[in-house]
Amino acid sequence: MNRINEHPILGEPEKGQLVSFYMDGKPMEGYAGEPIAVALKAAGVMTHRYTQKNHEPRGIFCAIGRCTDCVMIVDGVPNIRTCITPLVSGMQIQTQDGVTALEVSDETL
Amino acid sequence: MKRYDLIVVGAGPAGLSAAIEAARCGMKVAVFDENAKPGGQLFKQIHKFFGSKEHQAKIRGYKIGETLLAEADESGVEVFLNATVAGIYLDKEVLVQIGEAMTHFKADTIIIATGAAENMVTFDGWTLPGVIGAGAAQTMMNLYGIKPGQRVLMLGSGNVGLVVSFQLMQAGCEVVALVDAAPRIGGYGVHAAKIARSGVPFYLSHTITKADGTDCVTGVTIAEVDEAFTPIPGTEKHFDVDTICLAVGLSPMSQLLKMAGCNMVDDPRRGGQVPLVSENGQTSIPGLFAAGDVSGIEEASSAMIGGRMSGLAAAAYLGFLSEQDKDKRLADLEIALDSLHQGMFAPGSKGQAFAKTDEGIAVSQSLLKKGYLDDTDLERFFHRSDQTDKKSGIHPVIECTQNIPCNPCQDACTRGCIKIGKTITALPRIDAANSCTGCGLCIASCSGQAIFLVDEDYAPGYASITLPYEFLPLPQKGQLGTALSRSGQPLSTAEIIDVRSAKAFDHTTLVTIKVPVAQAMTARFFKPATHAAGQ
Amino acid sequence: MKSINDRSQNIGSFVSQADDTIIICRCEEITKGEIRQAIHDGMFTVNEIRRYLRAGMGLCQGQTCGKLVKNLIARELCVIPDQLDPATSRSPMRPVEMKVLGNEEVTHV
Repeated sequence: MNRINEHPILGEPEKGQLVSFYMDGKPMEGYAGEPIAVALKAAGVMTHRYTQKNHEPRGIFCAIGRCTDCVMIVDGVPNIRTCITPLVSGMQIQTQDGVTALEVSDETL
Repeated sequence: MKRYDLIVVGAGPAGLSAAIEAARCGMKVAVFDENAKPGGQLFKQIHKFFGSKEHQAKIRGYKIGETLLAEADESGVEVFLNATVAGIYLDKEVLVQIGEAMTHFKADTIIIATGAAENMVTFDGWTLPGVIGAGAAQTMMNLYGIKPGQRVLMLGSGNVGLVVSFQLMQAGCEVVALVDAAPRIGGYGVHAAKIARSGVPFYLSHTITKADGTDCVTGVTIAEVDEAFTPIPGTEKHFDVDTICLAVGLSPMSQLLKMAGCNMVDDPRRGGQVPLVSENGQTSIPGLFAAGDVSGIEEASSAMIGGRMSGLAAAAYLGFLSEQDKDKRLADLEIALDSLHQGMFAPGSKGQAFAKTDEGIAVSQSLLKKGYLDDTDLERFFHRSDQTDKKSGIHPVIECTQNIPCNPCQDACTRGCIKIGKTITALPRIDAANSCTGCGLCIASCSGQAIFLVDEDYAPGYASITLPYEFLPLPQKGQLGTALSRSGQPLSTAEIIDVRSAKAFDHTTLVTIKVPVAQAMTARFFKPATHAAGQ
Repeated sequence: MKSINDRSQNIGSFVSQADDTIIICRCEEITKGEIRQAIHDGMFTVNEIRRYLRAGMGLCQGQTCGKLVKNLIARELCVIPDQLDPATSRSPMRPVEMKVLGNEEVTHV
């Protein structure tokens, strides 16, 4: 419901191929080549990570790779700026908790 | 180590313009940009630009971006993307991260055009997901086709805050309020007016005190501030929103220049730390230039001229351009830049309150505080007998009441009805011998969407109003809805009697509504019966 | 010598404020109160605050909070922010993995 299907000025947004990826183990879909953060936003994911000290949620803030608030664990690598990293089919995205992956219980899957 | 005659850092409007001019003079030019796409912020600018023909006025920013990219390509500029300049060293050596390696480059001239970064404000809850920069909103909706949220509160009434608010509505989001701690709207009145007439309330002298929510934003509280910008207890107002958008100014990203050892100065009028530069952008280090927002916050139109100037200066510095040719071409560009630096929003007038326009008309206080012209302003600005001798039939009403550098309406009118003159900041006048045919080109040419065609004699008891419309779904002929006033208040039932789209209008649709004749000078927007505007 | 560097000046004692818990440095989670306290501990420059608290030394390298920290110092010292130097600019300008920073491509022409 967040996707803009038709824009009065820009028309229909250009999209890559529809691919699946995994968010904390849960399968999701997005368009290849768009930033991971955009695919997550479309899927309604707001929290990208929890901070190290206070365990507070963070998400997209600058969307241009500058503020580093949207970092997540992507294919096992932490601190990946999801707003500028293109989505690839089959990617494993995990909520970052401090600098490691958030432990997700099986029931939430 | 790879060598170039010129290295440009940043492929935005200033950097690309500089690179194009230099390459056309025969220089071997490399441009580095840390982003995956070139063009800087231009591709997020979907509104029509201000200025005059030479500044590419009435062309939308992303189109200007496409032109620049094509020109860069034709002139042989090498653009390196995902290429992050990590450092700049003595003798114009540049260290660039490209992929998984650090690569050294060397040039005889360097132009830094790294642009600006957004300022931020802090309040309780400002780190919650859902609080975003205005730039983030533009990036999401205009580059990647995704709404930043459903219900948005905008903080900041400068041109960025105003333009992004309108773009949010175009993307289908609801803007619940526009808030600014300042007592007056900071951006162009015409930008504010198009938001106000779709019903968005402005809260000046207000600030955000709290963002609500535990996992993400669920609401926001604002409060009125006193003269020291301290919230006044008891004035709190609450809005249910999922997104809070911050547009509180920009700061030059001048760190590379500082690292290079340029003499810097902290100049609040230019947005922060900027290099000391000559009029062509040369810093205290010979052969090292700065162009665009990095040397002082302005907008893309002046950044492009500044870029061209530094590109030419770099070419002359290395002997690719004779001093005479350089002086001649720079003189032309200086005139173009000067014309953008005039009027009420000129860099030198930042923060200044104008009581009167250049024409001696008292400025609208309502426009500055509420975002729309009120009835008392109409008398002063659009007294019909002052505007035209034409006693009946269709005529333009130009609700452009501030001196801003912009004149496409003058060129748009094939009948010569609209006059601005040589000073492009002058308010447009309707020629007394007005022979308006109702073609509507003026409406589509006005970047501020401030021109309306009014015909009080459309039908007995009814007037027609033609207005610019940039939302979806497009109204259909015969459709009924509500005519809204300048403040977005419902006035009466309005019927769509004409809908015109044309290539020359460039995505601005001309919608003609039929309203009771008494509302000819008050109705300025159309809200479809079933959907909210922009939904 | 800039008067700002005069450490003998009396800026009064630290008085806590209602909004001291607000985060200023989003990356390192440093609060307004911590920064204000540090100023009263004698840290009068942006660089000193960085080293003392790590404010501005996280992933984003002070790109978000740099100006906020500067304004806080200025307010406590009762000077205008322009009189304070921003943090030192040095390479690398953006966060970069050590394996990449060490992977220098050296070609001789």
